Amino acid sequence: MASSLQLEIEELSEMSYAERVRFQENTSVRKVRRIPAQGQVLVSKGDRVSPETIVVRGTVFNPEIHEVKVYVRLGVDPTEAGKYVLKEKGDEVKKDEVIAINRSFLGRSKVCRSPIDGSIETFSKSSGRVFIRGKPIPVEVKAHIPGTVVDTIPGEGAIVECKASLIEGTFGIGGETVGELVTAVDKPDEALTTDLIKDGHKGKIIVGGSFVTLDALREAARIGVNGIITGAMDQKDLTSFLGYEIGPGITGKEKTGLTLIITEGFGIDPMEERTFNLLESHEGKQTSIDGSTQIRARMLRPEIVLPL
Amino acid sequence: MSSNDKNELYLILDIDDLQTKAVLIDRAAGGYGIRGTSQAHTTVDPPSLDVTVGVEKATRDLGGSVGKELWGTDGPSKASRFLCSSSTGGSLYMMVAGVISMISAESAQRAALGAGAVLIDVFSRDYPRQEFEMVEIMRSLKPDMFLLAGGTDGGAVLQVLEMARLISTADVRPRFGSEYKLPVIYAGNIEARKQVSDVLSSERYATKAVDNVRPVIERENLGPAKEAIYDSFMQHVIIHSPGYNKLVNWVDEPIVPTQAAIGRILYAYAMERKVNLLAVDIGGATTDVYSIYDGIFNRSLNADIGLTYGISNIMKIAGVQNIMRWIPNEMDEREVRNIIGNMMIMQPTSPTSSETLVQRAAAREAIRLAVEHHKKIASRLKGVSLKRTIADIFNQALEPSYLDMMKTQVAIGRGKVFSQSQTSDATLLLLDALQPEGVTEMMIDRFSVMPHLGMLLKENSKAALEVLSKECLLRLGTCVAPRGRTNHGEVAMRLRLTKADGAMIENEVSFGELKVLSLHDGEKARLEVMPKRGFNIGIGRGKTLEADVVGGEMGLILDARGRPLNVPAEKDTLAKWVDTLTHGQQSPARDRGVV
Repeated sequence: MASSLQLEIEELSEMSYAERVRFQENTSVRKVRRIPAQGQVLVSKGDRVSPETIVVRGTVFNPEIHEVKVYVRLGVDPTEAGKYVLKEKGDEVKKDEVIAINRSFLGRSKVCRSPIDGSIETFSKSSGRVFIRGKPIPVEVKAHIPGTVVDTIPGEGAIVECKASLIEGTFGIGGETVGELVTAVDKPDEALTTDLIKDGHKGKIIVGGSFVTLDALREAARIGVNGIITGAMDQKDLTSFLGYEIGPGITGKEKTGLTLIITEGFGIDPMEERTFNLLESHEGKQTSIDGSTQIRARMLRPEIVLPL
Repeated sequence: MSSNDKNELYLILDIDDLQTKAVLIDRAAGGYGIRGTSQAHTTVDPPSLDVTVGVEKATRDLGGSVGKELWGTDGPSKASRFLCSSSTGGSLYMMVAGVISMISAESAQRAALGAGAVLIDVFSRDYPRQEFEMVEIMRSLKPDMFLLAGGTDGGAVLQVLEMARLISTADVRPRFGSEYKLPVIYAGNIEARKQVSDVLSSERYATKAVDNVRPVIERENLGPAKEAIYDSFMQHVIIHSPGYNKLVNWVDEPIVPTQAAIGRILYAYAMERKVNLLAVDIGGATTDVYSIYDGIFNRSLNADIGLTYGISNIMKIAGVQNIMRWIPNEMDEREVRNIIGNMMIMQPTSPTSSETLVQRAAAREAIRLAVEHHKKIASRLKGVSLKRTIADIFNQALEPSYLDMMKTQVAIGRGKVFSQSQTSDATLLLLDALQPEGVTEMMIDRFSVMPHLGMLLKENSKAALEVLSKECLLRLGTCVAPRGRTNHGEVAMRLRLTKADGAMIENEVSFGELKVLSLHDGEKARLEVMPKRGFNIGIGRGKTLEADVVGGEMGLILDARGRPLNVPAEKDTLAKWVDTLTHGQQSPARDRGVV
C-alpha cells in the first residue's frame, strides 16, 4: 500500500510545475486601463490612442488622515465636544479653518482648527475626536500601448487593443514604461556590460543577452534608460541595485529609475533564442513593458508588448 | 449498499489553490486503511471557474482506480460519506480585535489561528497605533472575516464598543464579493452583545455573538469562537468562491479550513497518546507550527515563509549566511542566492541536487523562525497575577511560553521537504531545525493526508487515528539528546538499551557526536540514560533517566551535538552528520560505537 501511494504522490508532484511564461507572436493584446475610483473617461470607443494618451483622469482616496482631539483644544469633556463642532461629516475644510469653537463671554474663546486642506471624515461623539482626510489625490492612466479603444468602462477607464507580439518574463522590477527598443548585444548569450550602455540610450529600452552586470544597470539608471530586458541577472547584484533583499516576490513599485525584466531567471542564462530574435526584429520600434511581478497564486509576470 | 456500509466508506477531499486531492478510506479485514488517492488541478480559477470540476475529476479518477462508483449523476454518489476541507484563495484571511493586546486580542488571535486562519492584522485599544491608522488598515487589507473580542464577562463595555465603532467607521469590506456582508464574530463581554450588534450595521456586517474567548482573566474559552469561525467560513466565505455553492450541498459535514483539519487530527493524536506534541508544516509559501502541551492546543502561522514562493523571504529575514551554514558542501554565496531566486520564481518540482541542498538549508531556518514565532502564541495567559516565591525562580511553569523541547515527546515534520526526501535527510532536517531535547519521538507525514484525517475525525475518530498511526505517520526514530555543553570529545552521556528479547546494548556518546543504534520501527525497548555532570536529559543535571522508547526507520538517534546546536564552520562535520544518518539506517550490522 505504501509504495503505491508513494508512486501516486510522485506522479502528482509533476502537476505543480511552474506555468510556462507566455510567448505569443502576432496576437491581439488587450489592456484594461482604469483608475481605482470614479473619474472622467477621456476617450471614446473606436478612438486611436498612443501609449501616452491619457485615457481616464480622476481622483482617488487620500490615505492621509489627521486625528484632531477637539475636546483637548476646547478644554471640554470628550462627550461634550459635539456641541461645539461647526462642521458636518463630509464638509470641506481649509487648513487653519475653525472647525469647532467654545465661546466664552468672560474669557477667551477656544477654537480648534483644521491642520490640513481636506474634508471631515468622521466625528466620534464618544471620544470627542474629529478625523480630517486630505484632499483627494488626482490620478490619471495612460493607454500604455498604441491601439484602438474597443470599449469604455463608465467613469473608470477603457479597454485598449492592439496587434502585437507578447512576451512574458519570469521576474521584473519597476512599473510600466514605454520606449524605443534597442538591442545592445549581438547574441543572446552575450552579457550586457557597462561599455555597451551609451548616452544615446536615454529614454529607450535596451535588450541584453545572457545577463546584465550591476555596473551596467547602474550606468543605465544614471543615463536615464527607461528599461532593460535581459536573460538573467545575478540575484546578489539585483539586491545591491535595489539596496534591500527582495523578500516575497511582489514587485512593480520600485523606485530605481528604470524597469528591468529578466526572461529566464537568476544567474547567467542566455536569453531564449526565439525571444531574442523576436526582440531584435522590433529594433527601433516603440515597445511597452511592465516589470510588475506577483509570484504567488494568480501569478502576474512582467510583460513585454511589441506592437506590430 | 446498506447504510452501515456507507458509514464505513469515506470519500474525503482537500482542496488547495493548486490541487484537489481525494482520499478513500474504508474498513477491511486488517482494519481501517487508505484504499486509494487521486489528485486533480483545482478549478476555482479561469477557465473553469468552478471548484466542482476538479472535485469531479479527482473523485472519478479515484473511483476508477479502486473500482468503485464514487460519482453519481450530479455530485458524489451516495456510496460513501463525503467530507471536504479547503484552503483555496490562500485560505481564510482574518482580522482580530480586542481591548488589550496581551489579553483579549491575544486570545482572539489564538482562536483565529486555531481555526486555521491567516491573520492579516491584530487591533487593540492599547496598541501604539492611531485610530485613523487602524481604520486605514482595516479598509485596505480586506479580510474574509473579523473576530472581535474584549472585556471579561461583566467587565469593560465602553472600550469594546469603541473597537466596534472603529470597525463600523472603517466600513470594512470582505476580500471577495464587496456586495456581501462581512462576517463579524463577537466573542467578548457578553453584557455588550446587544450594543455591539447595534453599532455594527446589519446591512454591512453579518454579526454573530458567541461566548467570550476570555470570560475571566485567568481562563480562555476558544472553542465557541472557533466553531463560529467554521460556520461563518462555510456560510459566508467559501460560498462566494466559484462552484462552492454546489459543493456545500454535497458534503456530509461542514467544510472547514485545511489548517483547522490538520490541527484537529494532531490534537486528537496528542490526546490519545497523552503526549506533548510539536508539529511543523512547511509549504511553498507558508510555515505553520502546531503544538499541544498539557492538552493546550496552539497554532501559529508564518505567512510568506516557505520553500518556493516564500524562500526569498527566508533569506531576507534569516540572512543568506544563516542559510549557507546548513549546506554540507562549499557553495558560493552568489550560487546560493541565484538558486533561491529561481526557486521563488520557478518553483521547480524536480530540483537539482544543489537546489535540494539549498532548500533543505532554508527549511531549517524557516522552521527556526516559525518556532520562535510560535513561542509568542503558545504562551501562558497574560494578565494573570502570578504569586512567585524564591523557589519559583527556576520554575519552568512560569516561563512565558509553553513550548519546551525538553517536554516535547513527539515531533512531527510535514511538507514535501520531508515527505520527498530520504528518511535520513528528513531526520537530520527535523533534528537540526527543532533541536529536540530529552527523549523525543520523531515522525513525518509521508502521504500528506492529515487534512483528510482531520475531517474524518468527527465522523469516525477510531478510523482517523488508526490510519494516522498506521499509514500517515512515518516513525523516524526516537531521539535522545541531552541539554548542556562541554569540550568536544568529552563524554556527554552513557546509556543502556534493553530490548524486549533481553538483548542489551551499552553505549556512550561524546559531546559533538551524532549516532544511531539499531531499534526497528515499532520495536520497544527500555532505555537508561546517564548524562554526565552538567548535562540534563529531562529530570535534572546529571540525573539518570529511565524511559520506554520505540524504534523507527532510523532506529534510536543519539544526539550529543549540544543545545543550542552550534553549527560548525567546517563543512566536514556537517557532511559527517549526513553520513552518520545515511549509513546508519536500519541494517543488521549497524550498532556503531557500541562499547
